Amino acid sequence: MLVPVFTLKLNHRILPRMVALGKYDGTHPGLAAATQAGKVFIHNPHARGQHVSANRMMQSSQDSDISLLNINQGVSCLTAGVLNPQLGYDCLLVGTQTNLLAYDVYNNSDLFYREVTDGANAIVLGTLGDISSPLAIIGGNCALQGFDHEGNDLFWTVTGDNVRSLALCDFDGDGKKELLVGSEDFDIRVFKEDEIVAEMSETETITALSPMYGSRFGYALSNGTVGVYDKAARYWRIKSKNHAMSIHAFDLNSDGVCELITGWSNGKVDARSDRTGEVIFKDNFASSIAGLVEGDYRMDGNTQLICCSIDGEVRGYLPGSQELKGNLMDTSAEQDLIRELSQKKQNLLLELRNYEENSKQVELSGQVNEADGQRGVIPANTQLQTALSVNLGSDNQAAHVELCICTSNDTIIRAVLIFAEGIFEGESHVVHPSLQNLSGRIQVSLTPPKDVPVDLHIKTFVGYRSSTQFHVFELTRQLPRFSMYALSSPDLAAEPLSFVNFTISERVQRVVMWLNQSFLLPEDAELQSAPFQVCFTSLRDAGQLCIKIKPSGEISISTDDIDLAGDIIQSMASFLAIEDLHVEADFPAYFEELRKVLVKVDEYHTVHQKLTADMADHSNLIRSMLVRAEDSRLMGDMRNMKKRYMELYDLNRDLLNEYKIRCTNHTELLNNLKTVNQAIQRAGQLRVGKPKMQVITACRDAIRNNNAVFLQHCRFLCTNSPDLELDQLPACIWYEDRRFATWFFCNCSPQSFPGHSFMCLFPVFEDT
Amino acid sequence: MVTGNGCLLGKAGCCAGPGRVRSPGWGREASAATARSPATAPGAMELRLARVDYLQVGVTSQKTMRLLPASGRRAIQKVVIGDLDGVITCFGIKKGEAVPVFKTLPGQRITRLELGGALNTPQEKIFVATGSEVRGFTKRGKQFLSFETNLTENIKAMHISGADLFLCASYIYNHYCDCKDQHYYLSGDKINDVLCLPVEKLSCIVPILACQDRVLRVLQGSDLLYEVEVPGPPTVLALNNGNGGDSGEDLLFGTSDGKLGLIQVSSSSSVHKWEIRNEKKRGGILCIDNFDILGDGVKELLIGRDDGMLEIYNFDSTNEPVLRYDHALSESITSIQGGCVGKDGYDEILASTYSGWVTGLTTEPVHREGGAGEELKISQEMQNKISGLRNELEHLQIKVLQEREKYQQSSHSSTAISAVPTFSVNDKFTLNKDDASYSLILEVQTAIDNVLVQSDVPIDLLDVDKNSAVVSFSGCDSEPNSNFLLATYRCQANTTRLELKIRSIEGQYGTLQAYVTPRIQPKTCQLRQYQIKPLSLHQRTHCIDHDRPMNTLMLKGQFSFAEIHSWVVFCLPEVPEKPPAGDSVTFYFQNTFLDTQLESTYRKGEGFFKSDNISTISILKDVLSKEATKRKINLNISYDINEGSVNHTLKLIHPKLEYQLLLAKKVQLIDALKELQVHEGNMDFLIPEYRSILEEADHLLEEYKKQPAHLERLYGMITDLFIDKFKFKGTNVKTKVPLLLEILDSYDQNALIAFFDAAS
Repeated sequence: MLVPVFTLKLNHRILPRMVALGKYDGTHPGLAAATQAGKVFIHNPHARGQHVSANRMMQSSQDSDISLLNINQGVSCLTAGVLNPQLGYDCLLVGTQTNLLAYDVYNNSDLFYREVTDGANAIVLGTLGDISSPLAIIGGNCALQGFDHEGNDLFWTVTGDNVRSLALCDFDGDGKKELLVGSEDFDIRVFKEDEIVAEMSETETITALSPMYGSRFGYALSNGTVGVYDKAARYWRIKSKNHAMSIHAFDLNSDGVCELITGWSNGKVDARSDRTGEVIFKDNFASSIAGLVEGDYRMDGNTQLICCSIDGEVRGYLPGSQELKGNLMDTSAEQDLIRELSQKKQNLLLELRNYEENSKQVELSGQVNEADGQRGVIPANTQLQTALSVNLGSDNQAAHVELCICTSNDTIIRAVLIFAEGIFEGESHVVHPSLQNLSGRIQVSLTPPKDVPVDLHIKTFVGYRSSTQFHVFELTRQLPRFSMYALSSPDLAAEPLSFVNFTISERVQRVVMWLNQSFLLPEDAELQSAPFQVCFTSLRDAGQLCIKIKPSGEISISTDDIDLAGDIIQSMASFLAIEDLHVEADFPAYFEELRKVLVKVDEYHTVHQKLTADMADHSNLIRSMLVRAEDSRLMGDMRNMKKRYMELYDLNRDLLNEYKIRCTNHTELLNNLKTVNQAIQRAGQLRVGKPKMQVITACRDAIRNNNAVFLQHCRFLCTNSPDLELDQLPACIWYEDRRFATWFFCNCSPQSFPGHSFMCLFPVFEDT
Repeated sequence: MVTGNGCLLGKAGCCAGPGRVRSPGWGREASAATARSPATAPGAMELRLARVDYLQVGVTSQKTMRLLPASGRRAIQKVVIGDLDGVITCFGIKKGEAVPVFKTLPGQRITRLELGGALNTPQEKIFVATGSEVRGFTKRGKQFLSFETNLTENIKAMHISGADLFLCASYIYNHYCDCKDQHYYLSGDKINDVLCLPVEKLSCIVPILACQDRVLRVLQGSDLLYEVEVPGPPTVLALNNGNGGDSGEDLLFGTSDGKLGLIQVSSSSSVHKWEIRNEKKRGGILCIDNFDILGDGVKELLIGRDDGMLEIYNFDSTNEPVLRYDHALSESITSIQGGCVGKDGYDEILASTYSGWVTGLTTEPVHREGGAGEELKISQEMQNKISGLRNELEHLQIKVLQEREKYQQSSHSSTAISAVPTFSVNDKFTLNKDDASYSLILEVQTAIDNVLVQSDVPIDLLDVDKNSAVVSFSGCDSEPNSNFLLATYRCQANTTRLELKIRSIEGQYGTLQAYVTPRIQPKTCQLRQYQIKPLSLHQRTHCIDHDRPMNTLMLKGQFSFAEIHSWVVFCLPEVPEKPPAGDSVTFYFQNTFLDTQLESTYRKGEGFFKSDNISTISILKDVLSKEATKRKINLNISYDINEGSVNHTLKLIHPKLEYQLLLAKKVQLIDALKELQVHEGNMDFLIPEYRSILEEADHLLEEYKKQPAHLERLYGMITDLFIDKFKFKGTNVKTKVPLLLEILDSYDQNALIAFFDAAS
């Protein structure tokens, strides 16, 4: 059995996913992790006592081998590695919602400190495609940016939604790394430099990505799913009720192939075979796992897998030796195998017994009676029919897709369980009629929130009214991608103004096939040959969609929904295997919206600058006030001191209010910036292949070169940390000796302590 | 076959037998030199046990596996086990493989299996209880007894001592001697187990019944000698040390809420010697045995629980039990016994589980230090076993495929039916005293695929750490289908046992339904129903405090004793369904959440319900009048409200509320304080109060996590109390509830009491 080779208790909390291991002096490994209060700690067991307190770093007074780094903002991502190959040692990269810091731990200096308006939710360090120098690539608000060691951004592109995870992996096997991007719109996108080469739809936000080897990579979702992809095909996945906090590829059983190691929110760590997902090792921590890294932490030439929990417990595991033969768990493999085989045997025996008993019953009685019904006896020819249709709704029910299930005889349906991903709140939907409403027919209304094809796994409990045992009928139906659009008659008046035009060189029959596959068309709907026109009404917002096809192969899609137009083009392109598609698009309403957003971005930015200036004024005032108040205290002038502190208290309250305004302003700004980024992405979605790339590049250049708004928001210095909610802080903390407050105002200028400075809590004096 | 009134001891009734009784220490001493490293002292060494799975039979119920005493020169014992298919399997282990000695044909379900024989001889006759019949077999599998009892119900518990046979159906106890009826007793609540103190030592027969209403009933003949109150519903009884200790009067009991105790049962009274509370919140106890597995000359206590925990306790210098070892199996442990089974010279603990696995925890080391040759031999044995199994599987698979085909074929016939036999579900729905929530445990003999949970009353489903299934809550339509909860549990592979936790609200009553679908073809699901009673958080108790200010509800009308009893059963948990003997009865209950109490006394035509909690009385009044109206019985309900009781209840709630408020406040501060600690590097500058919060942060967080929504529940109950107080006065104060909540937000006991007094 595999046991940890070392265990450490670091006495600092570790924020989830914020762990990195690096050789910051080139030889000795150190573990860096983000902790509370906007700090990063570095555990450096091999290089003791070399650091002096200066600049950002200070030695922790609790432990000698831990040094603390003040970031003064909530850390949102962290990594370590070689950014400047000339340096010969690793640097530490720390991202926050507004900045990216590249830090040279050895020299205790900044390599660069860049503002990143879109925030840094995820970071990855390495070489991308043909770009020669290593890049620190950060993913934020719909945007991706890559910096070299001087802080130049050599890489910039946009993606569909907020980025939550990044990884570098040789996806297409050309020897160069591609960038994998997992985002909040449930998509994993693969960027070959700034071109999207693949897109995989998942069922939840992608929280982690990890390259395994070759084109294989692991992923984790926010609903507790973990799995492995090879290129664009999923190998396996499993789902747990816990959440995967961190995943990492490591060869734990020394068989030459990396396993997928997962750290879970309940403190479990498991290693799964990359091929099957079978668990080959597991261990438990007392609290949730924060991060998994690898490195030679004992400096004995062997690489360990290092697991950190949020409580600061760190365990290192050496890969299992050859003698263990890959058997890392407590039990002997043979015993397990025997147990598994016996279990299989028992199941087969039970199944056999089921058939035997069944045939006995058949001999005994040919007819189904009431008593049999209770035991779950039903006619053997009972069948279940399912039908999917579009229901336009009524006064008390919104329009929906209707799934109708009915039995073929007098049996009733006790309940229907539908397991499907992405269309329900959880993973399942249940229909359970009350006893009075039982019948052999059940209608289930479905309203998929997104236009994605969904497999419905339907389990139906069939029996009689008084049954206590039911037969379970299991079947799978696919919900077409555009099932939420009902066929309607063409209505010229309501025809949308926006359109996309393009030409394809395919037969019209193929387009009709695509229509049949992607929409829920009534059975009697017959599509004539070109030219023809089909119109649909959206069940969500009653928006119109018109698809016109001319004999020349020219297709025109009219809809006001730019996302829908993009989806239809992408779906059609993949069905018809179109590689490059030029389109002509006009969305007047959407572009008008976008223009307004750009104006707003400008406004918010102005407000922000004003607020920052105000804040600086106030903080100067506070400093002088505090000094005066303390003077009064030292002179024993209690009355004045109280007065001053009361004033200070009021000012503090004002500042807190201002801070709140700033926060709202910032959130608004971010939302608008997101809209801008999404607009670029959407423009791209309307095209396929090269034209898509060209559009994105053009948009980017426009913004980079001559769009004043964008330039402004690049310069935009946002120093607060909107992730810290004011309400979460206790109203007041009493300091016995006011050391904190004094220290704070004497040592920190608001500039060096931005964001947090105004949340400092003042001592309130009671009447004495 | 011997039928009817045979002799219980069979032909060999006076058989002294050639077999010698193996002294418990024997095998161990022989093995000490080879098996254990001499460097460690036997007492202090760490206990290392290796798990071996021997065999799987059908589903087993409690106490259905025993080890036959060793016979002849061999020290290895044989295992005999009976299952719900009615099959008795007796097997021994040769070279790691189970070799059957005999196996009977399927029949009615076997509920108990005991060993017997003439007193002071090896107990090697096998007795099984199936249906209302007791059968006896010799150790070779020859049936010598078939005793059809006069019981109308199935036998639930059995004990054998020499020629005396003690049988229990649900409520009835019967004592037979040589299959002749001797004594009879009707218990007030369900009997879970029966035992008789060793006759050799006491020279008289003292049968003891473990009854669901938290008492052990000590009998003399057909009469009750006295009752012993125990802390939970007792599920299993065992003699201490296997022989009742020196006096023969020491009795071990285990309860369904996981408590364990030792009681000395003497002729006129009982003495509680020790008791282990279930601190770790483990499952209920199903089986107890005594065996010296540590090899220190003293028998250890072996415990098997219904959550699959197997525990070994040894005794410290004050004779108090201390947990020495535990091992988690994945399903209920139905029987446990220590002995020597797998290999001569190595003691082991044998356990049988719900789905019929016979598993050993042996002292035989997995990796023996012997020569390479031996290791090779072991793996050879294993290989043979595995290839044998694989062959068997292949054959089975072909057969199953054929049968499956046939079954599919039948769906084309219009006359054929599809009848899949019911699978057995082992379920338990119990109220936990500690957090006033219900546990629902479902166990199936094969892996569960999914479970659908539906309820027609508002309840909360809580997360259980042990439960690894993926839960998903579905949208509910309370109208017209009266669904307040619809949730699916999709189980991970190989889950045979599922535990759910449910929080109910008193006054809201209805049914909780679970549809269990196992992973077996053809797929079927079974419906299980559980009642959420109006006073769902009440639990039976032995006595109450009579000095509290009490409110009384009086019922008078033309109803029978059985009728009012059925109403009480409807309202309150843990009341036997059968009306008790006699013409009047009193039950005491305690509210597990608030510690208020309820006394119910009723007879034909009248009933009295006394409680210090006015809400309890209010709920009873509503439900009882509704029930009576349903049956068109004219009820005369009167009540006597004690104004002081409301303040009394508020005072009872006060410490709980205060504790929770303080806890919430402290927990809120932890993160901020920790941040300061990191900032300053130490915590010397903090006042002691904050320092102590930091010091016990982990404990506080744990405590806070343990009782989610505790404050909300308390608030809810105070609000109910407020509404109910004025409901009895005939005023509706629902409009004042927001005001009350405001007062609760800035809680002060006096302000709250004043508000209760002032509002009217």
